[in-house]
Order: sequence, then C-alpha cells, then structure tokens
Amino acid sequence: MPHLWWALGGAVLVALVVVYLVWTAGRVARLQARAESAARALDAHLLRRAAAAAVLAEKRYGVELYAAARIALDAAPEEREAAENDLTRQLRTIALDPADPACEAVIAASRRLALARQVHTDLVRDARAARSRPLVRLLRMGRGHEWPRYFDVDDPTLTVPAEAPAS
Amino acid sequence: MRIGIVCPYSFDVPGGVQNHVMDLAEALIGLGHEVSVLAPADEDSPLPSYVVSAGRAVPLPYNGSVARIAFGPVSTARVRRWIIRGDFDVLHVHEPLTLSLSMLAVLSARGPVVATFHTAMTRSRVLAAAQGVLQIVLERITARIAVSALARKVQVEHMDGGAVEIPNGVAVAKFAGVEPLPGWPGECAPGAGGTIGFLGRFTEARKGFPILADAFVALAPHRPGLRLLVAGPGDPDDLYGRFPAELRDRVTFLGMVPESDKARMLRSLHLYVAPNTGGESFGMILTEALAAGATVVASDLDAFRRVLDGGRAGRLFPTGDAAALRAALAELLDDPEQRGALTACGDQVVAHYDWPVVARRVIEVYAAAIEATDGRVIDQEWAGLGGAV
Repeated sequence: MPHLWWALGGAVLVALVVVYLVWTAGRVARLQARAESAARALDAHLLRRAAAAAVLAEKRYGVELYAAARIALDAAPEEREAAENDLTRQLRTIALDPADPACEAVIAASRRLALARQVHTDLVRDARAARSRPLVRLLRMGRGHEWPRYFDVDDPTLTVPAEAPAS
Repeated sequence: MRIGIVCPYSFDVPGGVQNHVMDLAEALIGLGHEVSVLAPADEDSPLPSYVVSAGRAVPLPYNGSVARIAFGPVSTARVRRWIIRGDFDVLHVHEPLTLSLSMLAVLSARGPVVATFHTAMTRSRVLAAAQGVLQIVLERITARIAVSALARKVQVEHMDGGAVEIPNGVAVAKFAGVEPLPGWPGECAPGAGGTIGFLGRFTEARKGFPILADAFVALAPHRPGLRLLVAGPGDPDDLYGRFPAELRDRVTFLGMVPESDKARMLRSLHLYVAPNTGGESFGMILTEALAAGATVVASDLDAFRRVLDGGRAGRLFPTGDAAALRAALAELLDDPEQRGALTACGDQVVAHYDWPVVARRVIEVYAAAIEATDGRVIDQEWAGLGGAV
C-alpha cells in the first residue's frame, strides 16, 4: 500500500509541475508578444512624428528641421535612437503655435509618441523580467524570439506655452 | 470606443475614487464613447444607467482604513460575465492593487488594460509579502496612469514602472453655474465685510484649520463684518470652542455638505483658504474652488504651487504662518482688482482640469494601450482624439 501512496503523490507532484511549466510558458509567450506589438506601435508613432515634422518643415522652419526629419525616417536601426533624439532637439528649438494645424499635428504626434514610448518601456521591462527567470532560461522558453530591446530616447513631449488655449 | 471601467469601492458611500470614476464616465459618454462601469453596490441602491452592480460590498480593514469592497468567487464570476458581455476595446481599472473587483478584472482581462493609481500608497507589508502575486497583476496592465506627481513617484520607485501623470478633473460647468447660498457672500468693502471659507476636516492637523482660525481671530476685531464659513465633518461645539465668545456669531458652520452643495458653498465666498500643512498629493479642493470662481489663498506646498501656477492663479503664503495668512487675507479683501486678476488667471488654469479636457488625455492613453496590444496605430477620428490638449 505505501508504494501506491508514493506513486500517487509522485503523480500529483508531476502534474503540478507540468501545469506550472505550461502556465509559465504561456506567460512568457504572452509578454513577449505584447512587447513586440508595443515595438511595432512605437515604430509607427516615430514614423508619424517624423512625417508630421517634415510637413511642417516644408511649410516653414526650413532646412535643418527637414534634414532632421529625413534622417529620422531613413535611419538604420542602430542609429535610430540618436536620430530621433536629434529630431526632438530640433523641434524643441522652434516655437510651435498650437493654432496652426501643421504645428498641432507635430505636437499631437509627439504627445502620442511619448505615451507609446512609456508603454513600450514598461512592456519590455515585463518581458525581460519574465525571460530572465532561471527556470525560463534553463528550459529556453523564449527561444525563437529576439531578446526584447529597450528603445532609449529622451522624452519627446513638447512643451506648449502656458498661455496657449487648452484645446 | 467601448470602454469598461471598474471601480473597486462601493457607490453606496461617497469617496474620491467613486467621484472620479463617475465624472470620468460621464465625460467619456459626453465625448461619444460607450461606457459601462462595474462597481459594488447594494441591490436596491439607485445607480446611474451606465453603472452595473457587482453585488454587495463587504467592509474590510485595509491599509489603515475600512474599505467596502467585493472579492471572492461570486464577484469573480460576475466580473467575468461583465467583461465577456461588454466586449470592450479597453478595460480601465482603478486602484488595481487593492483586493477588489479591480484586481479580479485585471486577472480576467485578455485585451488592453489601463490602470489608474490614486493613492500615493507606499509599499505596505502585505504587498511586499505578495510580491510574486503582485507581479502577475502588474504585468497584465498595459498602461498606467497616476493622478498626482506623488502617486507617480510611488509607481516609479516601488512598483518598478512608469506612469503617465493625468490629474483629477473637475466638472467646471457644475461649479460655475450654481447660485450661492442665500445671504452669502455679502458685502466686501475696503476695511469691512468679506467672507472667507474653509472646507474639510477641521479636526485633522494636516488640514491646517488652526492656522486659519488664528488668522481669523487676529483679523476679525479690526475688520467689522468679516465672516467665516466652514463646511466639513466634525462636531459644532469643537469648532466654535476654537473661537472667543464674541466672535462666534461671525462663524457659520454648515456641517457636512453633500457633493451637490459643495459648489454653492464655494460660490458663497470672497476668499477660499487652504491652510494645509502637508500630506496633499494633488489639491483637488483648489481646482474646485477655482472652478467655482473663488479667489484662493493657499499654503506654499508643492502640490498647491503647481495647481496655482506658481501663485499666478491664487495667493500662496508660507506654510503654517498665521501672521502671513492674516496679512494676505487683509490685503486681498481690500483689493477687488487683485482678486479679479487672480480669478481671471484661475479660470485659465482650471480649464486644463475640466473633465472633457482630462478625459481626452485619458483616451490617448487608451489608444496607446490598444496600440501596444495590437501593434497598429489608431486613427484619430475613431478614437475621438481630435482637438485633444
């Protein structure tokens, strides 16, 4: 009889471990997928801001802003963070008037980019935390996916003069 | 957009989070979104049409106070059913780290989740012990909102994550349009008259009522007709006992005023005084006083300075300094032009806190959460983002 109890206990234990592993694998996959989606959304918002800045540059403010926007649009992945920071710096040097649609487009794109950046950073942190757990690494659960990368840029929010109307 | 909002605390009792949730829901509906709010409530209590009851709330001691919340298998089933029926584009939970409907909703959610953190709660011992469980809750949240700089700081330092700071809104229209209480605020001429007001728990030290009382006692004998209007929970004898007998008939105590009368009380003043000595993370009452068109005199706390735009939208005095408060009151009561300039600037400031404006910023966070789940960018028109701040 004792043997039977041992066997039963062992079976329960194995079942629990399997459940835990399946659950953990699902969790890692979910966080990984979410970090990848967030990266795609961030990419789209970066393109939108650069495009809006290019439109504004064509209307006025001229060459330097246009160049910065173009460089940001065309940057290779490893140069992109620096190029985006340059664009943020360029945008900060000009006085944007929220009443002008082209300026408002840049301000709005920057604001939404700031949100996308914040969310992306949080989700990448969660994904990395999940993937760096010892058990996950030992069983190589995240293999087949790139290690989630931070996109390290300055806060792109543009400050609008305080006197400006709210909407 | 179809939005599901979860409020952890019962609508049967008044509270800051409950008011926030109701005002936000109404502002979102006003912007043309479909909103459903899930909250604990007694079966027979009257609820706005957009609120779905999750059943009775049980009082539970939590974090130093008693919270009426719902938690357990029955609540879990109700939360699940509500989420499935609602088919929401985004789920917005409030205070997800309390054992409540909010936590259940986060754990049952499959799509994008936005969480708002209200309290500047530091990590309690219970939370520290449950770090692993907490992580499971936190990692299901897509985007986080903090209602104050302090709440955001807690996020960054203790919860290991960023948060977007979006302040509490104030329903400017509700405050600006109401009639003052009959007979108030009365005359205010140079050297005489004037009504100053205070709203809140006068018994609580950090609200700083004794500082205002000292300033009033010092100023009243030199200023005939000066009156003090006080509203808030507390014992009248305790309040009147703080003033010398000859001044007591110039102090009026309204007791606890319902939310609907708060605006009328604030409209009945020449000056609203916030003598707080600390512990304020945002200064909601200041935005309400500004919305009601009162001139604000407040202690020089970080949170207050920020709301009052560094002193342009209201007078700041050194925190805890009754003599400075007395001087500021005397000067402002004598000078209608200066009061007018402060309230004019106050109107501009409070426009940034108007609920429709704040709600548009919240919608942008919803959009960011949905995009981070989908990987696609949302059109401005669909999300109603046009003309956001």
